[in-house]
Amino acid sequence: MKKTLHNLMLMALCIVMVACEDPIDIELDEGRSQLVVDAFISNDMNPQTIRLTKSANFFLNAAAPIANNVNVNIEGPNGVIYNFVNDNQGNYTYDPTTMGAIDSVGFNYRLLISYNGEVYQSFSKLNPVPDIDSMTFAFEEAELGSEEGYYSQFYATDFRGRKDYYRIKAFRNGEPLYPENPEFINLSEDAAFGGEGADGLQFIFPIRAAITDEDNPFLPGEISSVELWSLNQDAYSFLQQMVTQANNDGLFSEPAANIRSNILDISGSAQDEVLGVFSVSSVSINSITITP
Amino acid sequence: MLLSIASNAQKKYTISGYVKSASSGEELIGANIIVRSLSVGVSSNVYGFYSLTLEEGTYEVTYSFIGFDEVTKTIDLTQNQQIDLELKETVNELDVVEISSDGAEQNVNSIEMSVNKIDSKTIKKIPALLGEADVVRSVLLLPGVTTVGEGSTGFNVRGGGIDQNLVLLDEAPVYNSSHLFGFFSVFNPDAVKNVKLIKGGIAPIYGGRLSSILDVRMKEGNKKEFTGEGGVGLIFSRLSLEGPLVKDKASFIVAGRRSYADILAKPFLNNNLQDSRFYFYDLTAKVNYQINEKNKLFLSGYFGRDVFGAGFIFDWGNATATARWNHIFNDRLFMNLTTFFSDYDYAFGVEAESARDEFSWKSSIVSYSLKPDFSYYLNNKNTIKFGGQSIYYDFKPAEASFVSGGEANDISLPEKFAIENGLYIQNEQKLGARTRLLYGVRWSQFSYLGEGVKQTYGDTIPGLRKPLLNTERFDDWESIASYNNFEPRLSIKYDLDETSSLKASYNRMTQYLHLISNTVASTPIDLWLPTTNNIEPQIADQIAFGYFRNFKKNTYEASAEVFAKDFQNQIDYIDNADIFFNEELEGDLLSGDGRAYGLELYVKRNSGRLTGWVSYTISRSERKVDGINRGDWYPSRFDRLHNLSVVSSYEFNSKWSFSANFIYSSGTPATFPTNRYEIQGVVLPHNVNQSRNNYRIADYHRLDLSATLTPTKNQDRKWKSEWVFSVYNVYSRRNAFAVFFEQNDQNLTETEAIRFSVIGSFVPAVSYNFKF
Repeated sequence: MKKTLHNLMLMALCIVMVACEDPIDIELDEGRSQLVVDAFISNDMNPQTIRLTKSANFFLNAAAPIANNVNVNIEGPNGVIYNFVNDNQGNYTYDPTTMGAIDSVGFNYRLLISYNGEVYQSFSKLNPVPDIDSMTFAFEEAELGSEEGYYSQFYATDFRGRKDYYRIKAFRNGEPLYPENPEFINLSEDAAFGGEGADGLQFIFPIRAAITDEDNPFLPGEISSVELWSLNQDAYSFLQQMVTQANNDGLFSEPAANIRSNILDISGSAQDEVLGVFSVSSVSINSITITP
Repeated sequence: MLLSIASNAQKKYTISGYVKSASSGEELIGANIIVRSLSVGVSSNVYGFYSLTLEEGTYEVTYSFIGFDEVTKTIDLTQNQQIDLELKETVNELDVVEISSDGAEQNVNSIEMSVNKIDSKTIKKIPALLGEADVVRSVLLLPGVTTVGEGSTGFNVRGGGIDQNLVLLDEAPVYNSSHLFGFFSVFNPDAVKNVKLIKGGIAPIYGGRLSSILDVRMKEGNKKEFTGEGGVGLIFSRLSLEGPLVKDKASFIVAGRRSYADILAKPFLNNNLQDSRFYFYDLTAKVNYQINEKNKLFLSGYFGRDVFGAGFIFDWGNATATARWNHIFNDRLFMNLTTFFSDYDYAFGVEAESARDEFSWKSSIVSYSLKPDFSYYLNNKNTIKFGGQSIYYDFKPAEASFVSGGEANDISLPEKFAIENGLYIQNEQKLGARTRLLYGVRWSQFSYLGEGVKQTYGDTIPGLRKPLLNTERFDDWESIASYNNFEPRLSIKYDLDETSSLKASYNRMTQYLHLISNTVASTPIDLWLPTTNNIEPQIADQIAFGYFRNFKKNTYEASAEVFAKDFQNQIDYIDNADIFFNEELEGDLLSGDGRAYGLELYVKRNSGRLTGWVSYTISRSERKVDGINRGDWYPSRFDRLHNLSVVSSYEFNSKWSFSANFIYSSGTPATFPTNRYEIQGVVLPHNVNQSRNNYRIADYHRLDLSATLTPTKNQDRKWKSEWVFSVYNVYSRRNAFAVFFEQNDQNLTETEAIRFSVIGSFVPAVSYNFKF
């Protein structure tokens, strides 16, 4: 919405005058470095990875520094501990073929991190996810902001009678459609944008159709696939804030604000010590091959 | 009781009536009616009415108004008299530059302080963006007024938010004063009579907003003859028509504008862009009817919309309607009864490929009001005004529905209702030869009404979302929460001599409406909400002192004012609050204090070939909210330490005139990060100190020029035309609207600071204006 408005505004400005964006040099204060946890865990049998890095000066202009020597575990039902092993590249991995998948729906999984003598924890409940019943595609003419080509949609129905949060990930021939572009993180609160009316429905139009790259739609022979991830409210809210803060530009920008992490000191007292998010998700998958 | 005091006064009679323009029959606001021998006088009120009570005798009464020839009448006062007087406009012979500007005395003489008036003539002289004269953009050049930047809605007065300005169009509030996101305002300058900005010493007659009153009065329409006025510019065209319906009794004015950037752009757009729409239009209309000497009726209305779309539609606009009745009960008691309707709404919709999938969203604020105001001219020392107002509000935060696969669903948020009442009384009193007082009180009352839900939230760490504890349903008209406030007001003026005075004022203002906006600059989709059990009314106290002085027979007027303002219950938001479709929005709101203080210097040259003003303000505007900036004071988004405007206009000869503006102001504050981190490959900014507005973007400055060509053939014909050539932002400064911190699109590991300039180069324009 905000983005659309901004684009509109720019369109209007292009016609009547000249808006412009250019990089400038600014000197910023330096802040202390903090541990960053990027832990999106799914219920499938693929290796599960938690990435641990450190925050750095804003104009670092290099990959984030890696955090080594961290002890990372997830605690499952009946006290079972899944240990995540460091590859010395900041990737801490657990292979579900050893002790089983992280797949107890309804269980509140606990992340435990020991770093520099401190212990941090976070809880995330594994929510169920509905099946993706079907996918369709259709040829569409070019319009403002979208090119000519094949556009796909997915059909799934939200669970009735409970509050659900989802992230929809889109793929093209098995590759993420929009790697690392926060603008296209597709989120859904129940089947829409929240509110009572959104419960228990088929995912609504703009959400279920946002799985095609509008600048470069599908071609015949390509495969469009979708993953539907169940989320907790705090992971959902984290991603929502990420969308806002990572691309916070234009006339409709929001006040710059820190994104609240759901990982806290084990005593629960220290705020803002660790950055990032812990989330466990159920995932359902579907795909379709585009044919002319 | 008042009437009995009046009848006790012996052998005193009253002269009263209306002061009008001889050419159009238009009532003149603020004309002076003076008896020089006694040094007494009054000014006509906003309806052009005056009343002056004197002892029996013969008097020379002088009627004057800026830009009009003075008239002196000898009046033999042996009984009460109604004298409606017409003044002729001063013919501006350029060869004989007359220095006479009686209205300018008001700078020193009037009890009002912190007030700026601009008439439509002045507005039209100011070099404007794309050559289009604009009311709000002219207001931005006045002392004490700032803006977040080009393209943001509204304006900020003495450290207050944009929702703290009561913007009145013929007494009806306008909830969003902007077209095209803020580049133009909704007022058609051809239909505007005059504009008054009241920043301090606000009289009890006004209430409902904390920081200012922008009182825009529409023309009544020419009562003598049919005339028209209009213009063709690069972005829009204007046309207004006015004339008598019944000569000297009834008249009308209709004025319309429409932008046509979309039509002009059409041939240059691709096929797939041809369906896109972006335009705005507005229509302003007014009729008035003088039933008899004692009764006048006015009906006025405004309707305007901005429309954007391309595969979806986004539009917004205001609609207002005002009916007014002016009644003269007797020589001393005047009444204006106003009833108005005002609506602001915006809508957003997605036009999907089939009717099986749709999305539409609408949000609105609708208000209805009845407002009686009385002026009682007790004697030539005391003018009493009293009255009241009742406003009923209907808020629709989101009326939204979508159709998904043929199944329709309503995701609207509940409507909210409220009523706001006010009663006031004030007296303007002359105390001896040098002192004048205006004192009074306004009592305001607000009820948040059913049908609705009272939400109760629990406490939490400031800055976190408050948990909803319980809800309670209320029926129609039941009061969910209720507040009332006394708002004392006082202004004092002391004359030092003929040409200088000291003034001081105190006012308390209460505001029950809140504009919820989670964007850095205000936009058309900001949400108006009432005071509720969770959102308390905003309160501001302001004191101001000023020194006012005129020079060289009122050729120059000058003022120096200091003010200090204290704000309570200022709304802010938890970090990353969601304001749309959020049923528990009240749990995301924070409340804090504010303060603002400053010095405003103003010098204006009223007459001669060179006219204009220099305004300089040094001020601070700060907020303190638990949960933001570690609970410390921080500068508000519109805090600008220095603010300078130079506005000038030079009449070169009868053919050419030139105007220039120069604006300089300190950069606005912004929140910059200290660190960055990566999640899912996305680089995110982070501020380890949790600061708000810890940096400032670069200073803003700009020069605008314009030249007006009046063809000589105008003199011999009714059709008067002029060409206006203008250049906005002459030296192409890339003034930053904001600085953003982002990942580089090409190289994702690189982060950069991006300066966003809304207007990044000079903007030339030409427009053709005409009158007939």
